[in-house]
Amino acid sequence: MKLKEEYITHEIGDGLVLVPTGLASWSGFVRGNKTFGAILSLLREDTTEEAIVAAMRERFDAPEGAIERDVARAISELRKVGALDG
Amino acid sequence: MTGTYLFANIVVRVESLHDNVHRLCHGYETNGQPRLTVRTTREDIDFEHARSKAADIAAGRNVVDYNDGYLELLAVYRKIAEAMPVWNTMLVHGSCLAVDGAAYLFCAPSGTGKSTHARLWRELLGNRVVMVNDDKPLVRVADGTAMVFGTPWDGKHHLSSNVAVPLRAVCLLGRDESNHIERASLDDAFPSLLGHVYRPIDPTVLLQTLTLVDRLVGCVDLWRLGCNMDLDAARVSFAAMSGERA
Repeated sequence: MKLKEEYITHEIGDGLVLVPTGLASWSGFVRGNKTFGAILSLLREDTTEEAIVAAMRERFDAPEGAIERDVARAISELRKVGALDG
Repeated sequence: MTGTYLFANIVVRVESLHDNVHRLCHGYETNGQPRLTVRTTREDIDFEHARSKAADIAAGRNVVDYNDGYLELLAVYRKIAEAMPVWNTMLVHGSCLAVDGAAYLFCAPSGTGKSTHARLWRELLGNRVVMVNDDKPLVRVADGTAMVFGTPWDGKHHLSSNVAVPLRAVCLLGRDESNHIERASLDDAFPSLLGHVYRPIDPTVLLQTLTLVDRLVGCVDLWRLGCNMDLDAARVSFAAMSGERA
C-alpha cells in the first residue's frame, strides 16, 4: 500500500494535517501527531503494515502493542478517506 | 471571445468559448500586459459539469443541469485560483466586507449564514459598509500583511466591489441560539480555515496555499462567532472585532 500522490502533509503546531488536492473526491483533512507523521512518511513508498510497524519500532520506544495499535489506527483512518492505494 | 482584466493586481487575459465571463467581469477591464492567460476548452466545461453533478449527489440535492456559459464561469475562476498562489494569493470562500478601511472576512460552511451576518452588518452600519465580496474573495498574504480583493465571482446576491482592502480579521462563524464571540487560537483557526480555502489540483500549488494559510492566521485577528439571525448578532461581532460600539 502507498499514500496517494494527491495527499499533501503540512506541519501545524506540534502535529500535522494531511490534505487532499482539489482532484480528490474527499475534501476534508486528517489531523495527527508526530507519530502519525512518521507513519505517513513511511507510506510515501509502497509498503506493508508489518514493515511500517518494524520501522516505527526502530525509531520509537513504546509499550508493548502501542505501535501496532497506532499503525493499525492510522491505516484504518487513511483507508476510510481513500488516501491509500493498494 | 477575449478580454483582459485586473484581478488582485494581476492582469489576466481570458479567452473563452462563451461571453458570460466577459459580462461578469465588466468593470475589471484593463489595458495592462497579461501575466496570466486563461483559456477554456470544452473539456474544462465538461470537468465543471462532472464536479457540479458529483457535488449535488454528495450533498443529496437534485442534480442541476447548468448551462455551458455558467459552467465556464466556474472553469475560468478555477484556473485563476490555480495560478494565484504563485503571487501569494488564494481564493477563500467567505463573505467579506469593509468598514472604515478595514476588511472583515466571515467563513462558514455553505448555508450557515455568513451572507446573512454580513447583511446584518449592513443593517447596523449602513453605508459605512462596503461589500468586498460576498462569496469568493481573493486574499493576498505578503510581507506580514493580508490584503483582500473584490472579484466578480461574488455569490448569488452579486455583492462585491472592485476594491483592495487590508484584511483585519477572519471570523469563523457558526449558528447558535445566543450571540457570543471569542478569540480563536492558531491551532483552532488553521484547520477550520482549510475547509474554506480553494484547494488547488496541483500538489505543488496546494503546498504554496497551505503556506499562505499559515501566514494568514499569523497576521490577522482570528475570531470564532456563535450567532443567531438577530441584529444583536452584528452588534456583538462588530463590537469585538472593531473594538467600537455601533
